[in-house]
Amino acid sequence: MNAIEVRDLRRVYRATIGVVRRKIKEVVAVDGIRFDVRPGELFGLLGPNGAGKTTTVKMLTTLLIPTGGTARILGHDVVKEASAIRPRIGFIFGGERGLYWRLSGVDNLRYFASLYHVDPDTTRKRIPYLLDLVGLADRGQEKVEGYSRGMKQRLHIARTLLHDPEVLFLDEPTMGLDPVGARELRQVIRNLQSEAKTILLTTHYMFEADALCDRIAVINHGRLVALDTPVALKKLVSDLSVIEIEVFGIQEQALERVRSLDFVDTVAVEDLDQKQSLRVHSAAGSEAIPPLLEALDGVRMGKVVVREPTLEDAYVRLVGGNV
Amino acid sequence: MSRKWKVYLRATLIAAEMTLRQNVMDGFIIFTVLIQPLLIALLALWMLKAEGGEQVIFIVVGSGMTGLWSSLLFISGNSITSERWTGTLEMLVGQPTPVPVIVFGKNLANVCQSLGSMVVAYLLSAVIFGYELQIAQPLLFLISLLLGIIAFVTFGLIIAPVFVMNPAVQGWQNAMEFPVYILSGFLFPIALLPDWTTPLSYILAPYWAARALHGTSSGGASFGEVLFSWAMLLLFSAFYAGISAFLFRKMLHKTRVDATLGFQ
Repeated sequence: MNAIEVRDLRRVYRATIGVVRRKIKEVVAVDGIRFDVRPGELFGLLGPNGAGKTTTVKMLTTLLIPTGGTARILGHDVVKEASAIRPRIGFIFGGERGLYWRLSGVDNLRYFASLYHVDPDTTRKRIPYLLDLVGLADRGQEKVEGYSRGMKQRLHIARTLLHDPEVLFLDEPTMGLDPVGARELRQVIRNLQSEAKTILLTTHYMFEADALCDRIAVINHGRLVALDTPVALKKLVSDLSVIEIEVFGIQEQALERVRSLDFVDTVAVEDLDQKQSLRVHSAAGSEAIPPLLEALDGVRMGKVVVREPTLEDAYVRLVGGNV
Repeated sequence: MSRKWKVYLRATLIAAEMTLRQNVMDGFIIFTVLIQPLLIALLALWMLKAEGGEQVIFIVVGSGMTGLWSSLLFISGNSITSERWTGTLEMLVGQPTPVPVIVFGKNLANVCQSLGSMVVAYLLSAVIFGYELQIAQPLLFLISLLLGIIAFVTFGLIIAPVFVMNPAVQGWQNAMEFPVYILSGFLFPIALLPDWTTPLSYILAPYWAARALHGTSSGGASFGEVLFSWAMLLLFSAFYAGISAFLFRKMLHKTRVDATLGFQ
């Protein structure tokens, strides 16, 4: 039996617009996705903002009722058997919310341990162990309102491990953490994987998904566009080279000129403080550089680099440059 | 006791403990529980100064009940909405203890802490005004208090989900405070009100709580009358518990359909 089974899962949000002439607007957040996660697998769910990752996680954690399709966790239906699922799963959502700020870290954990039916003896042993695991052993007695964002995130991890769940849903757990904090958290996730826990991880960071995940599903506009191992996904772009061009204040017109070149596969722009990084995928390799520079005539440019594609490039290709 | 009920009892008690720990830091709660009932008691004691000390116990109990009702209306009424604002409602819904058990614990803490209102009014009349106060039937008073607490806590279980499902109703929260003070006879007997308001008083559990507490503290009620008030409190508690179970099921389903468990 798979730990997670998702079949044609769909979620539509309805919003009312206007006061006098009220209209109902429908937004399809998840549009018939289907995948399985095996027991003990670390499964990545990748996609740009608004792709439907968090909505999917909320449906799988019984917090949101799907509009269509089914999902089963450890053999139980997420709608009809939510109460059988909840004691066996743990979840965290990225960000600082979801904790009692006026209570100490230890009190937050005591509270949730009781709600998860952890007996008092186990709670007494488990809270120091978990605080140590997430690096909060010496700050546990302090009120959460004084914690940094990273500390709150680590407390969330401790909270979700209180009842030793079989399946974990980690929705962007390293979001907003400093590089050292994110690295430590990744190590915690690796340790959990070594304990044979099933983990569904959503992240924006490709290197994180590449380093941690056994398999990755890419979703875009609510649809599954790829599902494979990181190695296999990278092969999707093995025929391409990546040309990275540093540009300053590029306009849409210039981007359109680049996109219209027949040897260009995908174009993505990443904002970096004062400049942008233009990432062009092309099979033409370094031969693409002269016509590209010609298309960017009038745009102030910096470095131009040609490199081998990574998992991130595969992701950019799959989501059509929509990063 | 089965394991299930043990874990629910533990969850109720820890929800109450954590609520109290948070409430002691909250200025609004301190105002609702201590300052406002103190002002009401002070006003009533000044008004009745010329009448002598006979009415004082009525005022002490009555002003304490105003704190109880305000605490229930504002703090327990917001008990789910406030969790939604802090992003903890999703955490509470996604764990195995039923949400009404947690809200029951929170309401228990709110109602018990609001008994501080009665203590404040007692101290005010004894220390500042120098009245000698005695509870005429202490045991019956304590039982009345216990049954009153249960009725108030279960009533809180109704208003919290109603406020979540109907934010417009919550807009009337302020308007619901004083009419219940008056209709329940917290500070003066309902016999002073027009006859047509009497049925309204009878359908309010706070009225039966006030009647039992006033009757047993002043000694002005027969045992039969007290017993009748207790029966009404138990009846209302059972009725409120049944309604709240239905409302919670409806609210939890609706928030999961409408995606309103949390704010993004």
